[in-house]
Amino acid sequence: MSAPCAERPQVVVHAQQSLHYTAFECRWVPRSARLLCLGSAPRGSGVLQLYELRAGRLALLSEVEKAKPIKCGTFGAASLQRRHVATGDFAGTLGIWDLEAPEIPVYSVRGHKEIINSIDGVGGLGVGEGAPEIVTGSRDGTVKVWDPRQKETPVANMEPVQGESKRDCWTVAFGNAYNQEERVVCAGYDNGDIKLFDLKTMSLRWETNIKNGVCSMEFDRKDINMNKLVATSLEGKFHVFDMRTQHPTKGFASVSEKAHKSTIWQVRHLPQNRDIFMTSGGAGSLHLWKYEYPAQRSKKDLEGAEMGVAGSVSLLQNVTLSTQPISSLDWSPDKKGLCVCSAFDQTVRVLIVTKLNKV
Amino acid sequence: MPLWLREYSWRQSGAAVYLSLPVRGLRVTAANIFCTERYLKVSVPPFLFEAILYAPIDETNSTAKIGNGIVFFTLYKKEVAMWESLTVVNVNKEELQHLRENAVLKAHEKAKEETEAKKVLKQEHKKYALEATMKLEEAERKRIEELKEQERQKVSKELELWRSQQEDAEKQKRVQKEGERYEEVEQLKEKKKEKINKTRIPNEEIPKTKLKPTKGHGSCSIFSENLKEEQLPAPRSAGTIKISFTSRVFPTALRESRVAEEEEWLQKQAEARRTITADLSELEDLKEEEKNPDWLKDKGNKMFATGNYLAAVNAYNLAIRLNNKLPLLYLNRAACHLKLRNLHKAIEDSSKALELLTPPVPDNETARVKAYVRRGTAFCQLELYTEGLQDYEAALKIDPKNKAIEKDAEKIRYTIQGTVQKS
Repeated sequence: MSAPCAERPQVVVHAQQSLHYTAFECRWVPRSARLLCLGSAPRGSGVLQLYELRAGRLALLSEVEKAKPIKCGTFGAASLQRRHVATGDFAGTLGIWDLEAPEIPVYSVRGHKEIINSIDGVGGLGVGEGAPEIVTGSRDGTVKVWDPRQKETPVANMEPVQGESKRDCWTVAFGNAYNQEERVVCAGYDNGDIKLFDLKTMSLRWETNIKNGVCSMEFDRKDINMNKLVATSLEGKFHVFDMRTQHPTKGFASVSEKAHKSTIWQVRHLPQNRDIFMTSGGAGSLHLWKYEYPAQRSKKDLEGAEMGVAGSVSLLQNVTLSTQPISSLDWSPDKKGLCVCSAFDQTVRVLIVTKLNKV
Repeated sequence: MPLWLREYSWRQSGAAVYLSLPVRGLRVTAANIFCTERYLKVSVPPFLFEAILYAPIDETNSTAKIGNGIVFFTLYKKEVAMWESLTVVNVNKEELQHLRENAVLKAHEKAKEETEAKKVLKQEHKKYALEATMKLEEAERKRIEELKEQERQKVSKELELWRSQQEDAEKQKRVQKEGERYEEVEQLKEKKKEKINKTRIPNEEIPKTKLKPTKGHGSCSIFSENLKEEQLPAPRSAGTIKISFTSRVFPTALRESRVAEEEEWLQKQAEARRTITADLSELEDLKEEEKNPDWLKDKGNKMFATGNYLAAVNAYNLAIRLNNKLPLLYLNRAACHLKLRNLHKAIEDSSKALELLTPPVPDNETARVKAYVRRGTAFCQLELYTEGLQDYEAALKIDPKNKAIEKDAEKIRYTIQGTVQKS
């Protein structure tokens, strides 16, 4: 506790809503005070609910039921005019929906044979350059990149070699999309593998193993030269990789931290400050962290090759909101400190993190 | 009989009596002075001074000053009056005794009362302190709650403000859009007319899905979007990357907490495999039963019984190669070595047998006794009598009723004493 109590950011629960289904993902609709909850109803169908934040309460605007439960969703590839959400469901279908007309998907493809565990989008929302693309990672061990303009076939497919036993892909993240050509996809698997694919050269750029299933990964910004990558895993550990310097054999430097004493389900960076991120744990707790850069971000090793130096992570605040895992977390891109989280206790909570300006 | 101190001098005022008692050379402390309302005693064995006071005094406030070979008492009278004498005269022995006892009792009572009073006071103080701390903590908690509430309200207000701004902005945008759309619709109508005249191959992809009728805002916005889409790069050319996962012996995924267990399991597997495959080439010409350690052990026992010690050792060797975790094999081999007078080997084997026979339980008592005895014998035959004795004693500890061991132990002790005496 380096800063006195009065100066630390506080996490305040602003509004709370009890749901009648299990929410797997909650996302802010960009440029609005609306949020989208996706999940699975008790009878095995998918649910999409749109809420609006009004005067300290969440008001339900619309609710749609789908055939299969929905596991994940993103607005990352949506354009600002038409904010379409891309969702992945339990049957392996990727669908893009217009929230004002959610009966029929704008785009739909049965891309995977098994549940789509994770989805990410890039190129939309006026952020960055290049074509909007969506990446999905599935239990069938493949990671596929889709372009909403191209039907049926993915534009990139990362699959295991023939005959190789497959491992579930649990999380995917886009990064390094700082111009029209460059793009990188990072995938985390349940055996601890992290693989970095370069989409420009269509090759595997880096891989490593963090010894525990990777639950969630995120680059601190998708639209810049890749800077930091946070990967969280089971058994209460997360790793922060410094992605600026790649050593030919040692890869990227990292610092790891133990927290939560349980699975760390999600990590999300604050859109307004890329060195602050929040992790959510299996015990219903949220930890707010700040990354501090080292004095020198890279140094030369014995052979003269450049090697990255990892910085340090400090805990700003922690709070326990629930007894069940908080499975999803999303910062609002419009208001600093506003975030929404959903937990397996069938509640969605809107939180406000204060004093982030002073951090 | 105590030595009475009778030399004392006293004077008095209306309210107090001043008594001066010379105690040449004696060390007087507070413990030696005993004073109640009517009885005063100074006892430094064997010296004794006592006085039954004329009238009651206030003993709590009275003082005694010890120093310079004199004890100086300042006794405050309960009633202001002049005393005829310091002590009461004409007191017979019984009364004296009675008074003494009374005095002691009274002193006891007083002491008791004092302790009681102290206890009660302490309790009260504790209670008070506790309540005070509770109040403080309550106040602290309230303060923090209030701070939090304030924060919450402040933030909520900001949020509301922001939200209403968003709404206004959106409304404006919508109005703008409507306006734009009407214009575009007009434009497009004109363009369509042009299209009919020219044949134009649409080179931008208009996805089929978008042409489906969408509720509300109409297909017009789609067209405006298409024009903008031209600025986006074409979809990536499809590619595949083949990946392979970190190799692993186990079919389950890697978990840090299980790594230690897995290592152990793998080690055990490796060991087992080693013993099986190690001398496979040599053992090929042996019969099936000859590869069974138990059968080999029996063979060895039989040969020992007939006196063929070398053959027995061979049998045991082979059995141990196949399974080196059976203590009985080492035990029996030790016996053979003893007979063959390979004393060092006998010691090694008995030691190995003892190692394998941990934990010491009643079940392997007999085996352990045998091991100790054999090792003891080997030591003695090497003339290391003290070690031998130690082993014999250990054997005796496990099985105290064995006469043979006792006898042998005695013999060894004798021998040791003999050698000690000699040297």
